[in-house]
Amino acid sequence: MNYSSELIKGTLKTIILKLLKDNSRMYGYEITQKVKDLTAGKIQLTEGALYPTLHALEADGILTTETEYIGKRVRKYYSLSSEGNKVSDEKVSEFADFINTMKFLLDIKTDIA
Amino acid sequence: MYTLTETQIDFILDDIRRNGIELEDLQLNLLDHICCIVEQNLEDNGDFEQFYFSTRKMFYKHHLKEIEEETISLMTYKNYYMMKKIMMISGTVSVALMTMGIVLKFLHMPGAAVGIVLGVGVISFVFLPLMFLLKIKEQNNLKDKALTGLGTLAAICLTLGVLFKVMHWPGANMLSIIALVFLMCLYLPVYFISGIRNPDTKTNTIVNSVLIITACGLILTLVRSPQGTKILEAQITSDYVMKDDLLKSELELSKSYSLPDSIAIVADGKKVFDLCEKMKEAILLSETGNKTIDPNFSTEQQMIGLTDFHQFISDFPQANSAYTALKNSIDDYNSKYAKAGKNIHPLVFETSNDRDFKSHDVLNRIVVMQMFLLQNVRKF
Repeated sequence: MNYSSELIKGTLKTIILKLLKDNSRMYGYEITQKVKDLTAGKIQLTEGALYPTLHALEADGILTTETEYIGKRVRKYYSLSSEGNKVSDEKVSEFADFINTMKFLLDIKTDIA
Repeated sequence: MYTLTETQIDFILDDIRRNGIELEDLQLNLLDHICCIVEQNLEDNGDFEQFYFSTRKMFYKHHLKEIEEETISLMTYKNYYMMKKIMMISGTVSVALMTMGIVLKFLHMPGAAVGIVLGVGVISFVFLPLMFLLKIKEQNNLKDKALTGLGTLAAICLTLGVLFKVMHWPGANMLSIIALVFLMCLYLPVYFISGIRNPDTKTNTIVNSVLIITACGLILTLVRSPQGTKILEAQITSDYVMKDDLLKSELELSKSYSLPDSIAIVADGKKVFDLCEKMKEAILLSETGNKTIDPNFSTEQQMIGLTDFHQFISDFPQANSAYTALKNSIDDYNSKYAKAGKNIHPLVFETSNDRDFKSHDVLNRIVVMQMFLLQNVRKF
């Protein structure tokens, strides 16, 4: 099952920031592959959503970049700035809180076993 | 794993550019991304072109350019709301400051100028430029943007022009003229013609044009016409000539009972009188080009104008020293003779610091003082 794009859109920033927190530096394709692997293909980031978000986060100073030449092409690696580290934590804890609220709101019974 | 050739990489980059991706950063990111996908998923002997186009298709709904548009909108989104907020706040602040300034001005209380200057300053340099930037974001073609820019520029010149006029700063007329010419001769015709052609904007265009013309018309009705200035100057000049005539005839009369200079008040009075004459000559010279005015002056020649007195003495150091000498001699005269119990009229020569204080006001006050000088001698 693939999740709807609205669901992904609201969590994309959180996903990117958490991944970069765990993996110090990543490039765009790597991020999409990592998400696909970790979720067994349930979440597939689209390029049309990923890159605009990456660029916006960079413009906000949350991400820093370094470029490397891979033969003829250039690869742009993203990593968290010091502010980005803070934002990453905030986003993850905000989302955790959100999940709890949603569970309660939608009356979802979690399977403890 | 497929290995891309340099030609293929160039092909992909060209294709990305051709499809409307202009941000270099984004071009490079997409290029690397597509290369990765091709390298990971295409078999060694696979069809590159076919695979490439089917991969590219997954990136967008309608056009590849969507990614760039989304990027730009995300990057400016935050700024946009911040700018809008600042525009609202600056608008409110400037209106509040201006209102405060105008109320204080009418009450003749201090702080009026500060309020007005800050209020107009904020509206000219914060509110209007931000309004322009936000407005052109919504406009797509260059003509509309240029028109908005022109309108904003004219509005800024207009607000500053009025401010300069009120504050008596130099350049006020120039700013107002630029603003009105921009508005009436450039902005309005283009705005009107382009707006009236479109049925959707027709009514709005007519209403706005009427408002602009009315506003400019009202401003122009407040401006004195060149002919009006001439009439006013002729009045001022003939007023002065009349008073000076009176002084001359008084001077003639006073000769019949002239007292010797050995009497102190006569000598001191003459000293002040002469300094008065010098001051008058200096003012008349700068106003009319002659030291005296012919009683039968014609309105064709240069008349006494509307120069600010303080501007005049700061422009001419000689006039300033004549002014200082005159003030000192008057103080001296008053302290010596205008004491209580004596029948001597003190000489009053207050030059207000008000910027509206004109040179012709000073001329008139000097003549009155000279009359008193002559009368004081007679009383003695």
